[in-house]
Amino acid sequence: MTTTLIETPRTSVAVAASMRGGTKTYGHGDAEVRALDGIDVDVATGEFTAIMGPSGSGKSTLLHTLAGLDRLTAGQSWIGDQELSRLSEDKITQVRRDKIGFVFQAFNLIPSLSARENITLPLDISGRRVEQAWFDEVIGILGLGDRLTHLPAELSGGQQQRVAVARALVARPELIFADEPSGNLDSRSGGELLAFMRRAVTDFGQTIAMVTHDPTAASFADRVLFLADGRIVDEMRDPTAELVLDRMKQMGH
Amino acid sequence: MFRLAAKSVRHNPKRLILTAFAVALGVGLIAATHIFTDSLDRGFTRLFGEIYDGVDVIVEPITDGGEVGDPTSGDSVAKNLDDDAVRIAQDAAGVDLAMGATEALGALIGTDGETLSGGSGFGPPTLFFNWTGVEDFDSATLLDGRAPEADDELVVDVDTAEQHGLAVGDQVVVGGAEGTYPSTVVGIATWGDSNNTQGATLVWTSLDRVRELGGGDGWTVIHVRVDDGADAEAVAAAIDTALPEGARALTGAAKAEEQAESLGEALKAVDIFTLAFAFVALFVGAYIIANTFRIIVTQRTREFGLMRAVGVKGQQVRTMVLGEALLIGIVASVTGILMGYALAGGIIWLLKALGPGESFAAPIIPLDAIIWGFAVGILVTLASALLPAIHASRISPMEAMREAAVQNRRGLTMRNIVGGALALTGAGLTTVGLYAGLDRPYVYVGAGAVLLVLGVTLLAAQLLVPLAFGMRDLLTRIWRVDGKLAANNIHREPRRSANTAAALMIGVMLLALTATVTQTVKAVANDAIGGQFTADLMVVSTTVPGSPDQSVVDELASVAGVETVTRSASLDARVDGVKIPVTVLDTATAEEAIAYETEPSFSEIDGGVFVSPSAIEAGAEVGDTVTLVGEEGEISLEVTGTYPNSGDGDYFVDFAQAEQLGSPIDVWQYSIVAESGADLDQVRADLEDLVATEYPLLTVQSPDDMLELANQLIDLMLAVITALLSGALVIAVLGVANTLLLSVTERTREIGLLRAVGSRRRSVRRMIRIESVVMSLFGAILGIVLGVALGVALIRALEEFGFDTVAIPWGMLAIYTVLAIVAGIVAAWWPARRAAKMDVLEAIAFDG
Repeated sequence: MTTTLIETPRTSVAVAASMRGGTKTYGHGDAEVRALDGIDVDVATGEFTAIMGPSGSGKSTLLHTLAGLDRLTAGQSWIGDQELSRLSEDKITQVRRDKIGFVFQAFNLIPSLSARENITLPLDISGRRVEQAWFDEVIGILGLGDRLTHLPAELSGGQQQRVAVARALVARPELIFADEPSGNLDSRSGGELLAFMRRAVTDFGQTIAMVTHDPTAASFADRVLFLADGRIVDEMRDPTAELVLDRMKQMGH
Repeated sequence: MFRLAAKSVRHNPKRLILTAFAVALGVGLIAATHIFTDSLDRGFTRLFGEIYDGVDVIVEPITDGGEVGDPTSGDSVAKNLDDDAVRIAQDAAGVDLAMGATEALGALIGTDGETLSGGSGFGPPTLFFNWTGVEDFDSATLLDGRAPEADDELVVDVDTAEQHGLAVGDQVVVGGAEGTYPSTVVGIATWGDSNNTQGATLVWTSLDRVRELGGGDGWTVIHVRVDDGADAEAVAAAIDTALPEGARALTGAAKAEEQAESLGEALKAVDIFTLAFAFVALFVGAYIIANTFRIIVTQRTREFGLMRAVGVKGQQVRTMVLGEALLIGIVASVTGILMGYALAGGIIWLLKALGPGESFAAPIIPLDAIIWGFAVGILVTLASALLPAIHASRISPMEAMREAAVQNRRGLTMRNIVGGALALTGAGLTTVGLYAGLDRPYVYVGAGAVLLVLGVTLLAAQLLVPLAFGMRDLLTRIWRVDGKLAANNIHREPRRSANTAAALMIGVMLLALTATVTQTVKAVANDAIGGQFTADLMVVSTTVPGSPDQSVVDELASVAGVETVTRSASLDARVDGVKIPVTVLDTATAEEAIAYETEPSFSEIDGGVFVSPSAIEAGAEVGDTVTLVGEEGEISLEVTGTYPNSGDGDYFVDFAQAEQLGSPIDVWQYSIVAESGADLDQVRADLEDLVATEYPLLTVQSPDDMLELANQLIDLMLAVITALLSGALVIAVLGVANTLLLSVTERTREIGLLRAVGSRRRSVRRMIRIESVVMSLFGAILGIVLGVALGVALIRALEEFGFDTVAIPWGMLAIYTVLAIVAGIVAAWWPARRAAKMDVLEAIAFDG
């Protein structure tokens, strides 16, 4: 398989997030590390995009800069049609609050808040009302109905991650970023979690971008981007675990 | 282990800075007190040496009990020496010259009638000495002019001359209790080498004038010069044996030493008073240290678990934590002592710059400041770190394997039991003190209060949980998620929050207690002066009590519009050999001026004596006969009535009876009732004219003036105590800041997560600020409740001294509450900044 650089022009149609010439460096001079090296990428609306790559490939940095958690050294990125590099810290926070949902690998929940309070946290922060029907539907799908009053410490790892996904979904964000959401789970709980995420995309048209190094996790996505040394080196549509694994092996992972 | 401890401190000094500073502040207060009084002590010791330099031996009067009377305090227990004593001293072997000297209090008045010094008011005294003309005996050295040679000539000290622009040849008026005397300044002198008079005005004039001013017959002291080569001590001993009872002889050096010693005693009292506040500050500091170490141990649970896993013994972990505490204690003590030196030095410098600081010697750090500083600083730190250290030593190696620091879920049961027991015992003791009618109830109330505070501190953890939760809904409604999370955070670590709040509670409690007591004192004073004083005006003596001379009464009564003049006076007498204070009144007219609540009225005293509750306690009963023994007579009187409270004198008699005792009667007040319809302003103006010319030591006041003065004094007391407590309050606020800072570090990920899902920096700051304000407010309110309760308890315990009402200082309490909110905001400043500046990515990084 040949390496294809994706050089598509940025289109405003059906793109939830995008980046052009995204560069991120750490340190100076000899110690300079180029985590992102001129990345162009579009995350299509209503798709489940997986970002894969070996350790140090820059996949987490890509996620963080796309999501407005971190700033690019050079280049531009957009959430919807809002360009993040032009925005103040407060404005970026507002974008995150209103348009983005997050699922992290661990420590997704505020320990002192119950599951329900954690799920409605982004809505509470922005003072939006909870849509009860939607809330109930999400809770029903994720099977959290009888866990809502529990504190995170009283939930299993899988349940905690499902609460995190519920939190991301309930606010109806334009885009959910997930960083190794199943990384800390056993394979059964991990599989269930990813199936829920898949369903959110298929059934509700939710856009999800997920960083992972697990080919099985990537196989739940519509499209996989392969990162190496801060560049996107390949992409794959309708992946299977085997195909992804093969591709990773080629990359020397 | 100690090296590990040192490394740990060096590795993470930030979290210990505030802790060390809290200890240093407390130590600083202790050191400053020692340095301050040491400097004063050395200054005065030098001064006394100067004063008695050149006087070989002095002879002075003493009381029957062997006490030295202080002639400047108006204390007339020691009688003056007579000429026989001078003769005895002169005749003793080895004596070259013996000479009597006397002194009196008076006033110095300008020719325009304006009082320059002395007279009314509470300023330093104006002392008149007789000029002996013997260089060694006169404490003054002339700088300008000559010695006084006539009754109307005088020498003033150089600072007074400078202050009032007096020069040789100027005319002044000398004022005494009995009249005024125009005089001429003939000389300016210095007292000792430095004219260090503590602000007092010193005047030297003729012997007769000093005696007229109230020096009386005889001598207040006899100065003795010994022959060349004679041993002063031997001469002093010889004179002493020859003297009759009521006098003693000693060397000038011994007298200087004695005075320095008695000053040292007085300074010790000052020390104890200030140190009490320093200890309150350290007590508050101890909460903070304990809290800091508790939090640090929790944060390092994995580290300690790992150490245990690789084979470090629990005991070694404990030693390590205590080693850190020891290091902090040492650093904080050194810092504290230096801060104390800077503080004391600063105050001394300020006092010197403002004038009254001349008696201070250059401040040094005395050994006891160092010993106390180190001992207290290190002990407090170690003791506070002990429980957290023990807790650390019990961490199991398994903790190293855990995913994240597991919350400390130990129950509060033990804490509640101990706290409850302490609080109950404290409340019980207080109640016993109040109602059991034991001797000295305030001892029980005081001890009960301390236990109650400790108990409530422990219980605060339990009280705080429902409070924080009760407030959660309210906070959520006002500040949404920020408020909810703040309430959750307080609730999550009840122990930590409670200790933090308790530190503030103690400071605020003492403030509220003081405010309640002072407010009540004000109310009682208002009642007494406003309610009881039916007199229109008072002529009072604020420096030298007058003699019970009828002529003063007659002159005051002769002022147009004055209907009644009635005197209040006091004297000392003995009953059954015990010295007791006797109040002397014009009983026939006393009640026209002051509504005494005696039973029956004073006008029915019938030549007998009224007794106060404390005299009744001592055994006097209505119908009994008591014998009062005075200096030159005794009288047996029937107890014909009772006076309602203690503290105003034990026995009450009329002047007719008092004069038979032959003891000096000190008249301190003439109460004046004006004729109905008289123009009070005019009466007052006339009275003022009269006293200004005739009795410069008296001053005219209205009941309102007295009230105002009393209120000013009470406010001053409140201000002084507040200032002394401010150290403890600053430490408490530091404690709130420290706890928040540590808990922000602990919650790094949580805050990062909040930021990631859309909380703005502002919002994070607000969350910390709400947490801080709620904790501060809780501490302040608990402190106010306790302080007012204890204040009320204390007042009830003092009921027999006339504290029959309780006044709650609502205004001050409101101010304290507002200040607590401000303190909360201030304390949150740094932690909130830190939380808001936290890097989101770092905060959500998996390996933290």
